[in-house]
Amino acid sequence: MNGVDIAWLLVWGTLVGVDLASFPQVMIARPLVAGTVAGWIVGDPAGGLAVGAVLEMFALEVMPVGATRYPDYGPAAVAGVALIAGTEGLHGVGLGVAVGMLVAFVGDFTIHLMRWFNTEAVRRRVPRLDQGDIAAVVEIQRIGLGQDALRSLGLMAFGLVVAWAARSSPPLGERGAFMLDAVVIGAALASAGSGALRLSGYGRAIRWLGLGLAGGIAVILFR
Amino acid sequence: MTLSLVRLDDRLVHGQVVVGWGRALDVQLVVLVDDRVRASEWEQDLYRMGIPAEVELRFASVPEAIAAAPGWLASPLRTIVVTGDVDTLAQLVEGSDIRRVNIGGIHQQPHRSKRLPYVYLSDDEASRLVSLVARGVDVSAQDVPTARPVPLGEFT
Amino acid sequence: MKSGMVRAWLRLFAVQGAWNFERLQGIGAAWASEPLLRDLPGGPEGERYRDAMRRAASFFNAHPYFAGLAVGAIARAEHDGVPASQVERLRSTLPAPLGSVGDRLFWAGVLPTTSGLGLALAATMPWALGPAVFLVLYNAVHFMVRGWALRAGWENGMLVSRALGEPWLQTALRIAVPFSLASVGFALPIMGSWLTDGLTWPARGGVLAVAVLGVALGKWVLPTLSGLRFGLSAAGLALIVGWLWQ
Repeated sequence: MNGVDIAWLLVWGTLVGVDLASFPQVMIARPLVAGTVAGWIVGDPAGGLAVGAVLEMFALEVMPVGATRYPDYGPAAVAGVALIAGTEGLHGVGLGVAVGMLVAFVGDFTIHLMRWFNTEAVRRRVPRLDQGDIAAVVEIQRIGLGQDALRSLGLMAFGLVVAWAARSSPPLGERGAFMLDAVVIGAALASAGSGALRLSGYGRAIRWLGLGLAGGIAVILFR
Repeated sequence: MTLSLVRLDDRLVHGQVVVGWGRALDVQLVVLVDDRVRASEWEQDLYRMGIPAEVELRFASVPEAIAAAPGWLASPLRTIVVTGDVDTLAQLVEGSDIRRVNIGGIHQQPHRSKRLPYVYLSDDEASRLVSLVARGVDVSAQDVPTARPVPLGEFT
Repeated sequence: MKSGMVRAWLRLFAVQGAWNFERLQGIGAAWASEPLLRDLPGGPEGERYRDAMRRAASFFNAHPYFAGLAVGAIARAEHDGVPASQVERLRSTLPAPLGSVGDRLFWAGVLPTTSGLGLALAATMPWALGPAVFLVLYNAVHFMVRGWALRAGWENGMLVSRALGEPWLQTALRIAVPFSLASVGFALPIMGSWLTDGLTWPARGGVLAVAVLGVALGKWVLPTLSGLRFGLSAAGLALIVGWLWQ
């Protein structure tokens, strides 16, 4: 990974961070997309896909209904991919995902904080808003979008620093790496499973989940 | 009893209620208690559009709700009751045996101050809710089922 | 076509651009409404425009993709000269059904469905296919709904509930959750098999145990424990154990 790669990762991380909620919500923020493209940028699309897919399962648990808080998995996936880029095969995914989870978690706080700054920007303009002043609306909108771009860039930079630190720290050892992989994959399956159970409830809808599971198992067995 | 949730939320029946709580509780009946909505056909039409086909939506004024509350408490239907303001909620609770109340969201207005990110209350509204607690009612704030319930005492 | 529609439609992509705790999407909705309100009688200096803008910037929170329905309907009501109190009622009532319909269609429907399909393809097909199919399918529905929403809002005005009752939308809402569940259910074993490919059988048992533990904890012990917190704690623990037990 060279300086140009890092610059592209920062750009991509900013784009996916802003896509999450502010603009335009075309779901490049989803780790499956954000991670795979990051992998393509650093020349390891398969590794990017693996980290992105695991984080995507965590993201499947989140339903952004109303004003609830949510982690920021886009820059998280990019950071996780930057960490594992160039390591062979699926294994090593665990550490990338762990770093991704940390970045996603921090991202939640950065979004919350930014929204308080937005709230302040609104408060200072209430008299103008109450007169129907479009200039005040435009100002707040610019501040909000600008802040989200800065937030995403900052989060992405933080993620790359964490990834770099993890990459330069002493290796985990084979047993530790396998254990981390197993734990992370298990937690990812639990996350997506919990999300699905919450969506289905325990009424009649759960049979659709059963149908899907049966189909998935059939694919594994007969493939 | 299967009165699953009695909620205070100024957006009334929206995504958090229908998707967040509705799916988690596998709800069958939603009752919207609000005098103004009860009197407005087109508003009722809009709220109906937001409800899944398998969930029944009823509208009630405050007196109708007080009269129907014993029925909800005894009914086998898993029910969510939604009120849009503190006064409606307090009247309903004071006139019935409801012992547990969920605050889902009350938003900013000039006379209100911030208590939680999704709860803004005036002092009168806060003390009205405190008076419900004094009657033995469990009042806590929780926007969605996966969030931690915050007891009223922690934010008033 | 009504003037300003294209501009309003583009601006709606940033309806959450200034999301804040006091007005939620109010600022973004006002910014998107503005092109539709410029030609109110009296123009941008007139009183009707200013009143409409003041209302447009108040508290608002719908599903972002469906916000156009409200923006269109309210702009139409302003042009039709509907009394201010009625416009305000419409604006305060619309977010709830729009939020509910949008959350059900997208967050509980299209998103998990296409994401599950993307994951299943990611595990079984060349790398670009899963993410690409996810993006294309998701945004096909996304752009269709956005395109429909603003126009339907403008056409229906105060009678906007007619638009929400359209058969295609009601059908989509009915199948949303079953599709999501089937799709995520389909993806889970395929992902599990792909990701544990090459792990030893004891390690696979470990994966399964962690997965069951995670679901059970979230269901019965700590409902507020998100998958992310569970994953972070478990990964932290694994790192410590792995480091000590070299």
